[in-house]
Amino acid sequence: MGNPVVLFRLMLLTLLSLMPLPGYTQANIEIDTPAIASLKQSMQQRHNQLEPYYAKGAIGLTRDGLVAMHDATALPLSARQPVNALIAAENQDRNALYREIARANSHPEWEADIRSIFGQRWIELARSGWWYQNASGSWVRK
Amino acid sequence: MIKLLVIILPVFLAATFSAHADPAITLSVDDVRSPVLNAKGIQASLTGPKASLLEVQLGEVAVQRKVWRDLRFSCHKFQVADGLIRCDEGVLRLASSAPLPVSFRFSSRHKTLDIKIRTASNEGSEDWRLSVQWGKPIWEGMLTIANGGAARIAEFVPIGEKEILPTPVTGKGKINGAIKLHGDAGGLAGIEADLAVDGLSFSDASGLHAGEDISGQINAKAQREGSEKAPLWKWQADASWPRGEVFWQPLYFAGQGQRLSASGELNENIIRILDGKLVLSGIGEVDLSGVIERPANTVRDFDLSADNLELSMLFSRVLKPFFVNTPFAELKAAGHAGIKWRYRNSAHELLHINLRDVSVEDERERFAFRGVNARIPWEVQGADKIHEPTKADIHIQGSELGRIPIGQLHIPLVMDGLNFNIPRLTMPVLDGELTLENFSASPQADGKLQGWRWQFSGGLSPVSMQKLTEALGTQPMQGTLSGEIPVVSYNGSTVEVQGALLFKVFDGTVLLWNLKVLDPFGPAASLMADVDMRNLDLDLLTGTFSFGKIQGRVDVAVHDLELFNWKPVKFDASLMSSPGNYPRRISQAAVQNISSLGGFGAAAAIQRSFLHFFDDFGYSKIGWSCSLRNGTCRMGGIESEPLQHGYLIVKGGGIPAITVIGYNREVDWWELVSRLQRITHPDAKPVFQ
Repeated sequence: MGNPVVLFRLMLLTLLSLMPLPGYTQANIEIDTPAIASLKQSMQQRHNQLEPYYAKGAIGLTRDGLVAMHDATALPLSARQPVNALIAAENQDRNALYREIARANSHPEWEADIRSIFGQRWIELARSGWWYQNASGSWVRK
Repeated sequence: MIKLLVIILPVFLAATFSAHADPAITLSVDDVRSPVLNAKGIQASLTGPKASLLEVQLGEVAVQRKVWRDLRFSCHKFQVADGLIRCDEGVLRLASSAPLPVSFRFSSRHKTLDIKIRTASNEGSEDWRLSVQWGKPIWEGMLTIANGGAARIAEFVPIGEKEILPTPVTGKGKINGAIKLHGDAGGLAGIEADLAVDGLSFSDASGLHAGEDISGQINAKAQREGSEKAPLWKWQADASWPRGEVFWQPLYFAGQGQRLSASGELNENIIRILDGKLVLSGIGEVDLSGVIERPANTVRDFDLSADNLELSMLFSRVLKPFFVNTPFAELKAAGHAGIKWRYRNSAHELLHINLRDVSVEDERERFAFRGVNARIPWEVQGADKIHEPTKADIHIQGSELGRIPIGQLHIPLVMDGLNFNIPRLTMPVLDGELTLENFSASPQADGKLQGWRWQFSGGLSPVSMQKLTEALGTQPMQGTLSGEIPVVSYNGSTVEVQGALLFKVFDGTVLLWNLKVLDPFGPAASLMADVDMRNLDLDLLTGTFSFGKIQGRVDVAVHDLELFNWKPVKFDASLMSSPGNYPRRISQAAVQNISSLGGFGAAAAIQRSFLHFFDDFGYSKIGWSCSLRNGTCRMGGIESEPLQHGYLIVKGGGIPAITVIGYNREVDWWELVSRLQRITHPDAKPVFQ
């Protein structure tokens, strides 16, 4: 399975490269501000907790760059509420990350495009066996 | 079923008597209607030796408006004799479920029907037995269940009722008990159930509505009243739940002896709950009543009241999931609460909350409230606009915001529907007072924005800096902090100060303006502001930081300040001697410290020269600036005194005078901070005059 933190860093590294946004000048997705650094750190720490749930298929990646419960039956009943809370916290960080990157590029209006690019890239970088939502919104196993 | 059989019976009998040795009778009926039962698409055949092989197919059966489709029944030992119809080895097939072994006896003479379903598997045998006896005008029946599979309920639940169960249901568990039924020509008139479930598990496909290993007891009674055309059922039910767990998004409960008892009425349009009582172990008792509209099963009216709920369990088991991603997500609560909630015509009408000796603590130690006693009578705004606002009475014995203790509080909250106001609130803060005026909060008026908006103004009467710094655990400071707070507002995403915050500190003024906090309750809160300080007394300031005494006054400007996580990210700062006449002296220790930012040279130079005989020196100006960008501070000195090399930090004046020049223009901010703390900078050299 590999070290989840190393995997997450690798994913972020690949994600946070210069990516052109269609119709715009190039957005610097690698841009680093204290807010972005703090969000990345918080997400990185949480990834340790999320990783086994991705692997079990309990949670998956949505097409809009967030995380969602995919199959709660993969979890004991008592774990479903804490995993819900974990998903909510992760999504709060992800939403803030997309907003901060757009703001740091001085183009807050790019947020939707940055989210969409991240959404695709998270899925491309997901490990095999993880679940994600395809373009039509259906869940697919990688 | 009874009437149907009564209708069909003569047909079979007539056919049997006129048939050959191996008769073959088929019957096809499109539609059968009776007061109790309607059926469509009926096909029946009776074949085999002595007409002993019965096959019945029902396209659709409706009993009391409950519909089942695709029923097949076959019987290999079908007998008709002397008014007795019996089948000993029948098989019932309901759509999409495994065949069930069924036997029945129907006696037209004794007016009895006895149906048995018995299955045997590795998990043991399972018995469902329905016995019905009828005569004029009433009939009675009894369904006895022994080790009945709970999954059967889902199989038997009629189409159109399944939405009340998690869909699609997968379930297991055993049911034992009996259900008594009685009826008359108008159909079912009474039902009495006494059931125990054991090891019940269920789940919908998503797993968001699921239960595991649930045991419990259900006793229910219902009696039909009212006219035949508009029957009204009066019911009463008791349920207890000693074991098992349930997750019903977002709530999770473990069975610990919770009990529910309720009575009420039911008709075609509504389910009325009267006298409901829910006992939640560890939390308390809740009284319930309400009206649920059918067939949509939506709550129209509801009343809930509880006098004495244990708050710590209530919060951790019930409320916490609803506070995810809010500042209240990581709370520990204790104490007791009373609640009264009224919901009418699908809208909240009243919510009264009483808190008794409640304490609320943030687990991340951001805030805490202790000894809270409150009476909060919230009511909805009247549609007629003549509704009077209600007043909440909130007393808080003590609180902490951050590390700052707040004294006893009385919050006079005025509630007008979803508009909340506090005309004036005085909060004792250390030895001073923070006053909030005209606080108002309401939901966003713009439908696009979510959450709440609020605003207030106020002021801070003098707070001792010594006490404040002690409370914050920072460098002790002298003086007082006081000031005016103009309008502070929150629009759902940003806290903004309209106007300037004015504080008095170190005998000077601090003006904080263009103050904004972006996403204050989110994961990436950042603060932006401009700060202008005037006439700060250096004597007080340097005494505070053990920097060595400097007499004089300074103006400090910090513009375009941006903080993230309370750490500076960007600013343009400058410090300059204030205009005016005042004594300007700098102590040897202060010179050593300023110049020590540039290394040991200054201290050594003083020590080597005669200057070490003097305790202090004269100066005419002090100036220093720093522009922080990307973690680097670009420094400068007194702007009006440019030097060819370096920059002037202290310009000498008087006797003996001293001048300090800095040479290093750029420095890593955090390194500078740590050097300032250690006062060990290598590059600044003092020049003595």
